[in-house]
Amino acid sequence: MEKFTKRMINLAVVSVLLITTVTACGGSSDKNASKDNSGNSSTNVTETNKSNETTFSDISADIRGNAAPSAEQIEQVNTTLNDTYLGDIFDTVIPNDYSAYPFKESVTLDVWLPANSDIPDQNAHGIQKMVEKMTGIKVNFITPPLGQEADSFTLMISSGDLPDIIIDPGRYPGGLEAGVNDGAYLDLTDLMEQHAPNYSAWRNSDETRRKTTVTDDGRLLGFYGIAPYSEWTWFGMLIKQEALDKTGMEVPNTIDEWYAFLKKCQEVGYKNPLNYGSNYGQIFTGILNGAYGVWDWTFMDGNGKVQWGPAQPKAKEYLTMMQQWNKEGLLNPDWATADFSQRMASAVSNDTAVMMDSPDTMWSYWKTQNDIDFVGALNPVLNAGDKSATTYKNFMRTGTAAAITTQADNVEAAMAWLDFAFSKKGWEVYNYGEYGKVHLIDENGKPYFHKESYIYNDPDGQPISVALNKYRRHSWANIRDEHNSNPNIVAEGSYSGDIREYWTENMDTSVAVPPITFTQEEASREAELGNQLSTLRGEYFAKIIKGELSVDSYDKFLNEAKKMGLDEFLSIHQAALDRYNSR
Amino acid sequence: MEIAPSKNNADKIVPARKSKNLKHTLQKDFKKNWFAYLLVIPVVAWYIIFCYGPMWGVMIAFKDFKPLLGFAESDWVGFKHFIDFFTGPYFWRVVKNTLLLNVWGIVFGFTAPIILALMLNEVRDGKFKKTVQTITYMPHFISLVVVAGIIHIFTADEGVITQILQLITGKEYTSLLGYSSFFRPIYTFSGIWQSIGWNSIIYLAAMSTIDPALYEAADIDGVGRVKKMWYITLPQIAPTIVILFIFAIGGLMASGHEKIILLYNPLTYDTADVIASYVYRRGLREASLSFSTAVGLFSAIINFGLLWVTNKVAKRTSEVSLW
Repeated sequence: MEKFTKRMINLAVVSVLLITTVTACGGSSDKNASKDNSGNSSTNVTETNKSNETTFSDISADIRGNAAPSAEQIEQVNTTLNDTYLGDIFDTVIPNDYSAYPFKESVTLDVWLPANSDIPDQNAHGIQKMVEKMTGIKVNFITPPLGQEADSFTLMISSGDLPDIIIDPGRYPGGLEAGVNDGAYLDLTDLMEQHAPNYSAWRNSDETRRKTTVTDDGRLLGFYGIAPYSEWTWFGMLIKQEALDKTGMEVPNTIDEWYAFLKKCQEVGYKNPLNYGSNYGQIFTGILNGAYGVWDWTFMDGNGKVQWGPAQPKAKEYLTMMQQWNKEGLLNPDWATADFSQRMASAVSNDTAVMMDSPDTMWSYWKTQNDIDFVGALNPVLNAGDKSATTYKNFMRTGTAAAITTQADNVEAAMAWLDFAFSKKGWEVYNYGEYGKVHLIDENGKPYFHKESYIYNDPDGQPISVALNKYRRHSWANIRDEHNSNPNIVAEGSYSGDIREYWTENMDTSVAVPPITFTQEEASREAELGNQLSTLRGEYFAKIIKGELSVDSYDKFLNEAKKMGLDEFLSIHQAALDRYNSR
Repeated sequence: MEIAPSKNNADKIVPARKSKNLKHTLQKDFKKNWFAYLLVIPVVAWYIIFCYGPMWGVMIAFKDFKPLLGFAESDWVGFKHFIDFFTGPYFWRVVKNTLLLNVWGIVFGFTAPIILALMLNEVRDGKFKKTVQTITYMPHFISLVVVAGIIHIFTADEGVITQILQLITGKEYTSLLGYSSFFRPIYTFSGIWQSIGWNSIIYLAAMSTIDPALYEAADIDGVGRVKKMWYITLPQIAPTIVILFIFAIGGLMASGHEKIILLYNPLTYDTADVIASYVYRRGLREASLSFSTAVGLFSAIINFGLLWVTNKVAKRTSEVSLW
């Protein structure tokens, strides 16, 4: 009998183990589902905003410049569609067609969106509560477990059971357009004008905006995040102020000046003055190689033709220079292997004078954590008098995108909900969050984060990097106002925005290729060739700079690239660019 | 591993006379050992549901699979994905690297736990033995990302390992992960550090079943420690070693991409780029389920071939085999 009990216990243990393994994945999604429901039932739509159908009374006198709004004023701004206090601060006026709100019927939309580690429960996000009050449209967010987005997206698609809206629909294999062709997403071309008046007006208000949000064959497939301006470039050369002081030199501009500066830095004690950004590839950039026209990847030449940077005539000159710099110890010796934390450790050490990175990042690591001041330098040029250039250009398309699926029950409601993010009120809510707690309005009707804002003083004690997702939407299908509402840029004393603005205004971006799209056949071939070419380029360039291969082996590299199909690769890009240009 | 005992059981359970009626025997056996059958059900179910059930999906390797269109609607493309892979300029390199990394793994990584187990088996002091075991197990529980971080730090310009190497060779080295000739040693020996303790458990378990009478007899004959190890311990655990070796050979074409991707860089592609990392880089730009399935199928077939051959050889030479 004792044997029997033992066996029973064994069996029980095995079954429990097995059951827990099998149900582990299911369990977490159940949890999410129940969370979703509770989030929904706790927020009831207030029916107070019926009066908004009439024109609003002008409340700008009360709100603008008001540093201590009363509870009623806060209530009025946060729950009604009255936008009379908001100024027109951009070149183009943000549309404000609210005729669809509050939405005529009661609907709840299922919206899939990738998880964000800073927002454990999307349904409790304050922004959606405000949007729900203003639009009368309820939303049930479906978020996959963090880190399993790709798997659960594929599962969702292959199960054939789709929600109403998918945020970040480009995850579909082959992209958004492939998703429409395969019947996952709706083609919204004929519906846009009627059901998304704000989005339509906004995207049509500028030629670049129009072009980057339409397909090659003129279809409108989703709602893209569109900025009011081309967002500033975000990376480049950053020099420690103390290095300039110690060397007594000016901010260098030409490659020769840079060489002299780095040499001098070495003399005054910076062992490896330039931290060459490497984990970003060989290749953060085109910061140094751009001076030689040897851009990292594709770029547009003077005739509007797509070219491949590594195959440009001055490549050998560039590689010779880099090889020399590396040999003389001007670069950090671990540039090929350093990970982010190693780079940042070296950044704050006394060996480094110059970083190739983002001023937002260095603002945090240099200034706020170590009180090291820094200045931004334009991308180096070859000859004095040349204009600095970069292949980075933001074509006003930003944030993320959203698509409506073919299984949406109420397409009109889904469009109305998405369209709100492109209205004036939506611009305020999505970028600046709640009025009063998170932002105030200045004399010109421009929202801003005041000193006591939750963005800077989170009641839960979380840092700005978390708060910027918690109290607003940082990456969304909306009118993203990065320059004015990214708290890292607008925080008191921060000059990272100034550096980014300075770079953007003083660098030539005519070499930048716009956001082109490939057809499905092209995409597969482009991916294959692109992967091979990037492997080849990374390997040869890294080895030549390191001195393991001679500069002359570049000829062999070029031969191999041609054999791999460089011409075909370029012609695919050229065809896509031609189609883009004729949009 | 359980070949020997299960053979004995079978002898006991099934009566010596060969049954005329298989059904009858089974029934009888089931009545007698119903509990053992009950115990095995979850395992069998697990294999059917999670291993055999999804197997037909391998056919998407021959299709241009699009999830939403589903299996039936996606186009057949025959061997297109295989041809893409075979004719790629890096095909031979990634296959060679995959094989070589695994060969290194077998030569060093496979033997290390055996040696550790043999040494531990000779240790009489229980406390010391337990301490060593615990310390060697521990790395097994460290997340791979952390392990990669540790490797990065130790092999950096001023890392411990780099310093030691400089002392020994008298040459100047920058970060060791930047030399393609060092990739295989770094990958293999960090792998040994990660898994040596864990993998030695099975050998220690096998050693604990060795009949002490064998050692006693050897003692009486005045046999020394080394000889006992060589003539008693090793032959006794040989079946375990052979079985695990067959498994290891069956994994020659397999490769995990995580650790490679955490450690490699363009400077070391020529030794570090394996099938999995190559497919991963391509997959980043395009979610090509069919392509990765095709590559996976190719590796699995080669692996199965190797497994089969090794098994055959093992059966001939040592009479130990998987089936």
